[in-house]
Amino acid sequence: MYEERLDKRQFDELRPIELETGVVPNANGSARFKIGGTEAIAAVYGPAEVKPKHLEKSDQGIIICKYDMMPFSVPDRAKPGIDRRDMEISLVISNALSRAIMLEEFPSSMISVYVYITQADAGTRCASLTAASMACADAGLPMRDLIAAVAVGKIGDSIVADLSKAEEDYEGGATDIPIAFLPSKDEIVLLQLDGEVSKDELKKAIELGRKEANKIYELEKAALKRRFTYESKD
Amino acid sequence: MLFVKNYDVVTPGEMLADEGVGGSGTYTEDKKIFSKYFGTVILNKDWINVTQLNGAYIPKEGDEIIGKIAAVEGTYWAVDIDTSHYCRLDAREANTGYRIEDLSELMDVGDVVYAKIIRVGKDLSSSLGLRGGRYGKLPASMLVRFNPMKISRIIGKEGTMINLLRERSKCDILLGKNGVAWVNGDKMGMEAVLAAINVIDENSYMGDISGKVREILDRYTSQKNNAE
Repeated sequence: MYEERLDKRQFDELRPIELETGVVPNANGSARFKIGGTEAIAAVYGPAEVKPKHLEKSDQGIIICKYDMMPFSVPDRAKPGIDRRDMEISLVISNALSRAIMLEEFPSSMISVYVYITQADAGTRCASLTAASMACADAGLPMRDLIAAVAVGKIGDSIVADLSKAEEDYEGGATDIPIAFLPSKDEIVLLQLDGEVSKDELKKAIELGRKEANKIYELEKAALKRRFTYESKD
Repeated sequence: MLFVKNYDVVTPGEMLADEGVGGSGTYTEDKKIFSKYFGTVILNKDWINVTQLNGAYIPKEGDEIIGKIAAVEGTYWAVDIDTSHYCRLDAREANTGYRIEDLSELMDVGDVVYAKIIRVGKDLSSSLGLRGGRYGKLPASMLVRFNPMKISRIIGKEGTMINLLRERSKCDILLGKNGVAWVNGDKMGMEAVLAAINVIDENSYMGDISGKVREILDRYTSQKNNAE
């Protein structure tokens, strides 16, 4: 049984969050998202000319995402460059973003999203997605909504939110379920599952994910507005 | 019902109203109006509009822009206006009245041109025009990049800000809607304009920008007086 969490958190408690936009001066938009020991930095460039040319779509734009873990982000040095896992995460991020961004407004153009993980302690794909959506909003792209992503999971018999690496490696068996939402539309744009859960447990996990994603969504909105608080003064 | 006030900062996906008509920068789903951009709300009598705070320039018909000649082709110039696609400036827009064998005699790669967007294609590629009098090649001088969404701040209310800059720095200033300003004058004046545009760009959400701009211009005037 998993009665108390390793870091003494509540089952539905997130790790401390830091959010910031405008961290990469040369990019059109950028954001940094830190949750506990996981930190992602996202930068967005474009819309620009599509390269390579054969990817071009004449009726809508495309998103190219590059996710990479920095060599020093994990205890054992990560080999620089894109490996199989990086390719998978790049794909799920660009798929989720293409649901949020109104791509039909940029025919035959390309939006490039670069996400780098500077520190990893589980939940990096969720952190990347949240940072990437903030960066897109900062870049002034037309979007249906921001994305709020959170990893929920099952440890022992308990459904918990925002697993750390130590919890993922828990001996009694742990299941990792990253979920991403468009909170104001209540739409799921990413749902992955690594491990074993029953149908009821998955429903409970999604319910918990929705609740936690809304918390992150409020923080995202506050962080975006923080830089421009003077504007609302008439 | 309306959920926002005038000049509120909103994020994409934020619900603005559950009835009424959405203006620019908004989209409607299930009769509810949502913001499309990260920007500020501008309410007028009939519509709710959202103006972006950041963003790349998207070409629009009728916009006056400043571009650089990127390539000279047989019958047209390709112009770089800082968008996703090069613009096309047709040779007959040059209105010379006679046939030109080599277009680079008129404008060569690297020359700066002031022109109007006359047509935007479906894929955001656009054509430029020079007809209408004041368009054409600009003498080589300083170009300043700024956030294209901030152009109304650089112009100011009824042109107060741009007139202030022109009068005090004694420079010719031409603004392109694509986020490029062409500045011509003496060296110190151009530096003052550059500093002023950067200040407007970075502090456009603060209250008193014209005070800051005046400060820069005052410093410039006193430096100039000292030099004389």
